[in-house]
Amino acid sequence: MNERGRLWFVNWPLLGIVMALAVYGSIMVQSATSGMDAGPALFKRHLFGLALGMIPLVVAWAFDYRKLQGWIGPLVLFAAFLILSPQIPGLGSTAKGATSWLAIGGFRLFQPSEPAKLVTIVIMAAVIAGYKGRISEGRDVAKILAILAVPLGLILLQPDLGTGMVFVAITAGMLLIGGLDAKWFLILGISAVLLIGTLFGLNSGLNKALSRGDYDPAYIAAKASGDQAALDELSDSSVLIKRYQMNRLLVFLDPERDPKGAGYNLEQSKIAIGSGELAGKGLGSGTQSNLRFLPEPHTDFIFSVTGEELGFLGAVLLLGLYLVLLITALEIAAQSRDLFGSLIVAGIISMWTFQILENMGMTIGLMPITGIPLPFMSFGSSFMVTNMMAVGMLLSVWTRRQGVAGI
Amino acid sequence: MAILGLLLVRLWTMQVLYGAAFASQADENRVREVTTVAPRGRILDRKGRELVTNRATMAVVADRTVLDDPALLNRLSSLLSMPVAEIKEKISSVREAALAPRTVMIDVPKETVAYLSEHATQFPGVAVEVQAVREYPQGALAAHVIGYTGEVSESDLAGEDGTGYSYGDIVGKAGAEAQFEQVLQGDRGSRLIEVDASGNPRRVIQDVEAVPGRDVVLSIDSDVQKVTEKALADAMTDAHKQGFPKAKGGAAVAIDVKTGEVIAMASLPTYDPKVFLGGISKKNWAKLTAKSSEYPLTNRAIMAQYPAASTFKAVTGLAGLEYGMTTPGSTYDCEGKWIGMGAKWKKYCWNHAGHGYESFMDGIQDSCDVVFYEIGHRFYKDKGEKLQKYARRFGFGVTSGIDLPGEAAGRVPDAKWKAAYNENYPEYRRWLPGDTVNMAIGQGDLLVTPLQMVNSYVGIANGGKILEPHIMRQVLGPDGKPVLTSKPTVAFDTRADKGDLATMKTALVSVTQPGGTGAGSFRGFPVRVAGKTGTAQVAGKDDYAWFVGFAPANQPRYCVVVAVEQGGHGGSVAGPAARQILASLLGQPIEHVTASDASR
Repeated sequence: MNERGRLWFVNWPLLGIVMALAVYGSIMVQSATSGMDAGPALFKRHLFGLALGMIPLVVAWAFDYRKLQGWIGPLVLFAAFLILSPQIPGLGSTAKGATSWLAIGGFRLFQPSEPAKLVTIVIMAAVIAGYKGRISEGRDVAKILAILAVPLGLILLQPDLGTGMVFVAITAGMLLIGGLDAKWFLILGISAVLLIGTLFGLNSGLNKALSRGDYDPAYIAAKASGDQAALDELSDSSVLIKRYQMNRLLVFLDPERDPKGAGYNLEQSKIAIGSGELAGKGLGSGTQSNLRFLPEPHTDFIFSVTGEELGFLGAVLLLGLYLVLLITALEIAAQSRDLFGSLIVAGIISMWTFQILENMGMTIGLMPITGIPLPFMSFGSSFMVTNMMAVGMLLSVWTRRQGVAGI
Repeated sequence: MAILGLLLVRLWTMQVLYGAAFASQADENRVREVTTVAPRGRILDRKGRELVTNRATMAVVADRTVLDDPALLNRLSSLLSMPVAEIKEKISSVREAALAPRTVMIDVPKETVAYLSEHATQFPGVAVEVQAVREYPQGALAAHVIGYTGEVSESDLAGEDGTGYSYGDIVGKAGAEAQFEQVLQGDRGSRLIEVDASGNPRRVIQDVEAVPGRDVVLSIDSDVQKVTEKALADAMTDAHKQGFPKAKGGAAVAIDVKTGEVIAMASLPTYDPKVFLGGISKKNWAKLTAKSSEYPLTNRAIMAQYPAASTFKAVTGLAGLEYGMTTPGSTYDCEGKWIGMGAKWKKYCWNHAGHGYESFMDGIQDSCDVVFYEIGHRFYKDKGEKLQKYARRFGFGVTSGIDLPGEAAGRVPDAKWKAAYNENYPEYRRWLPGDTVNMAIGQGDLLVTPLQMVNSYVGIANGGKILEPHIMRQVLGPDGKPVLTSKPTVAFDTRADKGDLATMKTALVSVTQPGGTGAGSFRGFPVRVAGKTGTAQVAGKDDYAWFVGFAPANQPRYCVVVAVEQGGHGGSVAGPAARQILASLLGQPIEHVTASDASR
């Protein structure tokens, strides 16, 4: 059974494309951080994250994914623990309104919601695989949603809207492969829209009823006095949707709304990418990123730096790499020994696809701005480690694919 | 696939189709242009003494947005002790297109500056900045020559000369400031700076240093100018004392006969160029342009057009000699009235008693009208309009080309002009004998500027050649060395006969000698002066007093004119003023004499 060569268990195209993306990403992170005082340190941390990612990659690869199928209960508890862990007193750290970091002594280590995505993928894969490729009963759908509700609900409470959206996208992709009836897609889609509408209505209603958020007397007073400092200091007491989230959404719908405030990031990002033109301004020569017009150039807006410095050609190269990555992953899904493996791969594909769409989309005004990084490109070790682990899971499925005997 | 395709299409539109637009936005983000205003060149007198220079001042400037905030306007008003209406007027004085902050007040006291910086949040859109403004070390001296400055107007900006200027720039509006704008202005500096998102400068992309404006050296001599202005003012008081209370306006000019350099030029009433600094208020502008103000902004020396009266007799006389209408030996009989055109058209000599037997030379000395009626009548009968032609040879009816804006051309009336002028009054269109006769004594429809008058006597003094009058002597380079120097050029070659000129000079000298109409003015004057008095009749007004002459008579160096509107008689009002000016020019004791003269 060794006609593929001695290293038959290695999927070279996948490893190659991931390496290529990691190198591309490192170059861009180096360029994006070069203008910062902490630049060299940040770049070192990025490389460290890459190296660190090799460990979960190898572990996940070696681990037989099939063993996980029976562990739904413990996995749900594990996911819940991961998501809730930052809330444990003394361990959590708050950034941008969400308590999503694990920290020791104020030093941020890790965002547990990142690996929680993979755990959720495994959970959903195990659940959906149980239906053997055909889900049409309302009861089954309800059960799947109920299980999804645990991590999703917890993540939304943090609140981390972006990660929540990733969870939804992952589940949608897996349901597609898992054989959910078309009518259910329709029903769920409509319900989601209605739910979001209700959520906004409820937010406004509750704020009004409880005198919070925009109806908070302190907020109204500060706004009327025009005292920006007091306004900034005031914590947002909105019940469901925080004001900054609402602002991001409104700015997405109308970028001109607030060009100096919430619309600033979007505007600067679009200018960065657009001004790259065909061939870009050259590595390290991006004015938008180096002169700090671009916020978070090495993390959320790494694509804007790429677009500015390497132009349309650089962006096409990146899109091409992602296309190869996704196709390679699809092949792995197709060759999986079982539905469970295919579903895990489908979940990972959905996760990456959604993250690519959301991250690139937000930098060019196609999607609302959320804090979702770009896989293999953005600075951020939790994210990098998680994605490397996802690659390991793909390899785990690949190595145990159809037609490979004895494993 | 579809998702990646969507991203691709969007990227293509942004980066390739509209890339250039985004690129310019990126440049707008990072590049700031800081312009530095070039200091305006100074204006110096012929001896290098400053007439106009620059000084720094603290100015309060405000954006247009301030207009929309009544409470802020009130706060600003009480802080600056300036009425709200005036602040509004200052801010809105320039059209909408101008977004640059407007100067509200200059020379703001230190305490006010301190208060504004401490309470900056209460004054959004208001700022204090250091501005360079014009400074006049000698006050209002030579105000009409120097002119004044103001903000560049919208029409200036739109015009061809508007290139390189932007809203709020200070430009010359009148006089030398306007005439030499191109050299005085200098080139603004521009520095392109790359800034980061917080506005901190990172590096200088391009740096063009401001080129200061050039200094302009005028031919004006401050000392003589002072005496000239005082002499003209004295002439006004003399006129008032002599029963001419309406004397308010007038002009005096002193010219170097050999070079055409204007040594002094005065005009009354005058104004203080300071009022234009920081933008003139509506109130002050109204004051300077009201009818009752007698228009102090007008430089009467080059803009006013008066009847020349008897001062013109020198020109008529020379023309008569040239065309054989008279000779130095011709004699006339003045009976106080003249009926050369028939009894029905009887005219009088200013001396109703009659001068009796008069030679041509006597006619100049005592300014006998009858002599010149006769000469004028002969010119009429000749039908050749030779008097007009001769007057034009002496620069009448056309501008002299002086390097000051707004020069008037005067008028030399002829048949063609009269027909056109009275187009709608057919009965007045025909040129009549009286027209030429009146012109011969400098009345009728002849109009001259004081500058034209002095120029014509320059012609007599300088062997027939009239030099182009000018006030610019030199333009100095950055090192203080001249980069441009005016050279004397002939404006009018009168081609007058040397002998005729000598005859006329002799006659003009006799005017300032005992028996002449200017004798009182120049009694005891150590230098011999050739000149002529004039007393112009203006319908509905008191007589205008004239004196024009040059000295030293044998070796003429300077030619001077004094004209006083409604000042009465030339010999008693304008003559004494001319004496003071000539004394100052020739280094003689300056004496304000009183003289009496009843001639016209």
